[in-house]
Amino acid sequence: MGASPLMSIGLRAMAASYASMQTTSHNIANASVAGYSRQEAQLATSAGQYTGAGFFGKGVDVTTVTRAHDEFLTRAAATATSLSAMDAARQDRLSQLESVFPTGEGGLGYTVNQFLNSMSDLASRPGDSATRQTVLANAQNVATMFNSASNQLDSIQAGVSSDLRTSVSQVNGLANSIAQVNQQIAALNGLGQAPNDLLDQRDQLINQLSSLVQVSTVPADDGSLGVFISGGQRLVLGNQAAQLQVTQDADDPSRSAIALNDNGTLRQMDSGTLGGGSIAGLLRFQNDDLVQGRNLIGQLAAAVGSAVNQQQMLGVSLQQPLGGVASKPLFAIGAPQAVPATTNTKDGSGAYVASVALTVTDASALTAANYELRADPGGADGVYQLTRLSTPPLVMSIASGDVVDGMRIDISDPPPSATDRFLLKPVAQAAAGMAALLQDPRDLAAASPLTATATSTNTGTAAIASLTMNSLPPEAAGTAQISFTGDSGDYTWQLVDDDNNVLSSGTGTWQAGQPIPTPPDDINGFSLNLAGVPRDGDTLTVAPTQAAYIATNNGNALALTSLRDAALVGKATLADGSTSGGVTATDAYASALADIGVRVQTANTAAKTSAAMASQAGDAASAVSGVNLDEEAARLIQFQQSYQAAAKVLQIAQSIFETLLQTTSS
Amino acid sequence: MSMRITSAKAYETSIGNLQSRQQDLADAQNKLTSGKRVTVASDDPVAAARAERALAAMVRSEADQRALEASRNVTTQTESALGDAGELMQQAREAVINAGNGSYSDSDRATLATSLKGIRDQLLAIANRTDGAGTYLFGGQGTQAPPFVDTPAGVVYQGAGGQTMVPSSESLPMTVDGGQTWLQAPNPVDGQPALSVFSVLDGIIGDLRTPGRGGDAIKATVSTGLSNVDAVAANLLAARTTAGSTLNRTDSLENQISATKLAAQTERSNAEDLDMVQAISDFQNQQSGYDAALKTYATVQHLSLFQYLSA
Repeated sequence: MGASPLMSIGLRAMAASYASMQTTSHNIANASVAGYSRQEAQLATSAGQYTGAGFFGKGVDVTTVTRAHDEFLTRAAATATSLSAMDAARQDRLSQLESVFPTGEGGLGYTVNQFLNSMSDLASRPGDSATRQTVLANAQNVATMFNSASNQLDSIQAGVSSDLRTSVSQVNGLANSIAQVNQQIAALNGLGQAPNDLLDQRDQLINQLSSLVQVSTVPADDGSLGVFISGGQRLVLGNQAAQLQVTQDADDPSRSAIALNDNGTLRQMDSGTLGGGSIAGLLRFQNDDLVQGRNLIGQLAAAVGSAVNQQQMLGVSLQQPLGGVASKPLFAIGAPQAVPATTNTKDGSGAYVASVALTVTDASALTAANYELRADPGGADGVYQLTRLSTPPLVMSIASGDVVDGMRIDISDPPPSATDRFLLKPVAQAAAGMAALLQDPRDLAAASPLTATATSTNTGTAAIASLTMNSLPPEAAGTAQISFTGDSGDYTWQLVDDDNNVLSSGTGTWQAGQPIPTPPDDINGFSLNLAGVPRDGDTLTVAPTQAAYIATNNGNALALTSLRDAALVGKATLADGSTSGGVTATDAYASALADIGVRVQTANTAAKTSAAMASQAGDAASAVSGVNLDEEAARLIQFQQSYQAAAKVLQIAQSIFETLLQTTSS
Repeated sequence: MSMRITSAKAYETSIGNLQSRQQDLADAQNKLTSGKRVTVASDDPVAAARAERALAAMVRSEADQRALEASRNVTTQTESALGDAGELMQQAREAVINAGNGSYSDSDRATLATSLKGIRDQLLAIANRTDGAGTYLFGGQGTQAPPFVDTPAGVVYQGAGGQTMVPSSESLPMTVDGGQTWLQAPNPVDGQPALSVFSVLDGIIGDLRTPGRGGDAIKATVSTGLSNVDAVAANLLAARTTAGSTLNRTDSLENQISATKLAAQTERSNAEDLDMVQAISDFQNQQSGYDAALKTYATVQHLSLFQYLSA
């Protein structure tokens, strides 16, 4: 036995220590590189040499370089990143949406209140043109505020679409990079050693991709990794990457959607199956939060605008000839929309075969929701399935011409095909289309078409408390005379024309707190409330307001003022078609504000929670694969010492060899 | 086995923590400087909705107050107009009494008639008074301009009976029913038609201007005249009393409106304003937290094994 095994052991030990120091240095060099996994030179004891005296060790071998990596933790971190990115994207956009619903004096509620309150000033000075001008200016303000809210919503929508385009081009870039790395990895597959740095690079790309869209991965035999999105849609397979594209949503072209370009065929992805990622967050915001925000504003615009218009048109303006000009509406309101899906059946010229028309019948019953209309799933003729896209959705069966939630739905003939879909948006454009129509202060209808008087010789205490118009008087020149025939409130009434011809007549019983006539009875469209109690023989007269008195009559201004307390938003439609409930404009805005506020609050909490979870998952993964510089410093010393010891072995081997030479030479 | 702290991640986490503490500090400062706990709805959706309703109530109180001022302004003038009318009626009463003086000649009575005519014209002017902004005090539910006009048949009221009301926290009158006040005084003689201020005076003036009437006829004119003048004066006084009590009601309504407004202001403030003591204490807490985070960061980042390894 000579010195050569010793020399060989020393040399291999030096090489092994050097390899370890090399990986440690590589670790130190890459400590700050995102996605880098700590590497380790794997050493193995060389098989012993058999002799008659047993096995003698031959030293150490470097078998391979491994990366510290846990597949499960890495994937878990990527998924957690997806969810966190989704929540963060939605939270970010929701706080923008919240700015469309400011609190206090900057809010829509305040503006609407100011406008309705100025009707009280109009009631105090019905003939004053300065007061009328103020009312018109306030009406203009209401329209401008609704328009600007709608513009803000549009620009949020534009921001979402533009973010989607940027995100999608990032996804496409990352998918291409993953495909390339796949190719490089596959090429090195035959070498039998793991290309650690390439694997890190691919994991990092997948991690970046995960923050945009949640992915699942399936490894292939050649070392490449298949990347799938939206529950199994192929994004990367081997060295081939598919491309995503931003398109118009088939159901609502005003919204953006994501489609997978499959060899030239665009397949729209269902936003619900995308899972996590900022793209899913943006789509969820766009399809849910933004729609809700727009509808809440639209519902308020439609309800307030219509209620004011309706009351204004029951009154009499100061236009000449006084009392002879029909009053004009104060506001224009954006029309309801029925949007055909882009996939609906088209005729030869590319026009849709079927169409749907919406008409608002009662703005106070409109809901802040969209609806989906399609043919009856059972295939019944003339029957359609209408789904209110609220939470939870409400499915109804309707026919053409039916009135649902304050709107009439007319369906064309030829009817929609079995696969046709329509998105009904009763209020989405109400705020955008709002405009104050009146320029001339005289157009404000402060006067009531009728004036009620209690005869001066009455013996009871009954005075006129209020006279409200339910409709324009069917007999414009008719005078109603109401005569009490007893002390218990029984009365007879007759409606006479100019020449005292009786047009209609009837009887009724007045009850304290109830109007005359008792609904649903009607006398020339009015509803009269008394203060005090009438006695037998007392008479009341409800006559057309004389032209000369119109400038000083404030009957309709009082009715407009009372809209402050009227439940004019979001009445519920009952089974018999009547409506009940509803809230005032103030309450409607306050609850819209709270609705959006709760969404933001929830999104903030969700974002915080999922960010913490993502950070934890990231910590867990990096605890396995990350570099700790103190650890590397310790290892460096360890391997340095090993190297020094190995060098000593070599030195001794050399010294032995020299001793041998000297001995033989002497 | 303890968890491995990754150096790069440790830096990242520390920086992240510093940033979030800085953000908290900025938020606390923002709240302190704005004085509001709720600046956006998501700060506290329930409180934001409460504050919104309270704000509506505040603005409503202001509108109610404006309507009340309008009514009070008109009613004050009405009350004073009816006061003026009362004094004139008193003068008319004295003139009628004087007319009964047995030593008076036809021409003396004609002079009294002239002075009564003057009083009557002043009363007509009062009945047609406006509030200075175009509203006729006795305009009822709408009138021609002016509501009272002389016609061959005497003074008539061209307007709708009743009152125009304004919407304050309760309905308040903007006008008085002119016909009722001036032309519809209850007749002291049962079963006789109601009396008009102007017909009563016109009747007396006509009698006094008629020459050569006997003592009994004059006595009858004076006695009926006096009783009629008293009846219409009492009716005017009743209207004045009503105006006075309306003013009283207005005052108590005003108190009520300001109480409502104050309650709404308090409600809004409770809902969205900051508790300053709490906020300052929170701010100081966050300040010390940030300070501590900065100090530990500086200390911990100096610790590294490499420092102890000499070359």
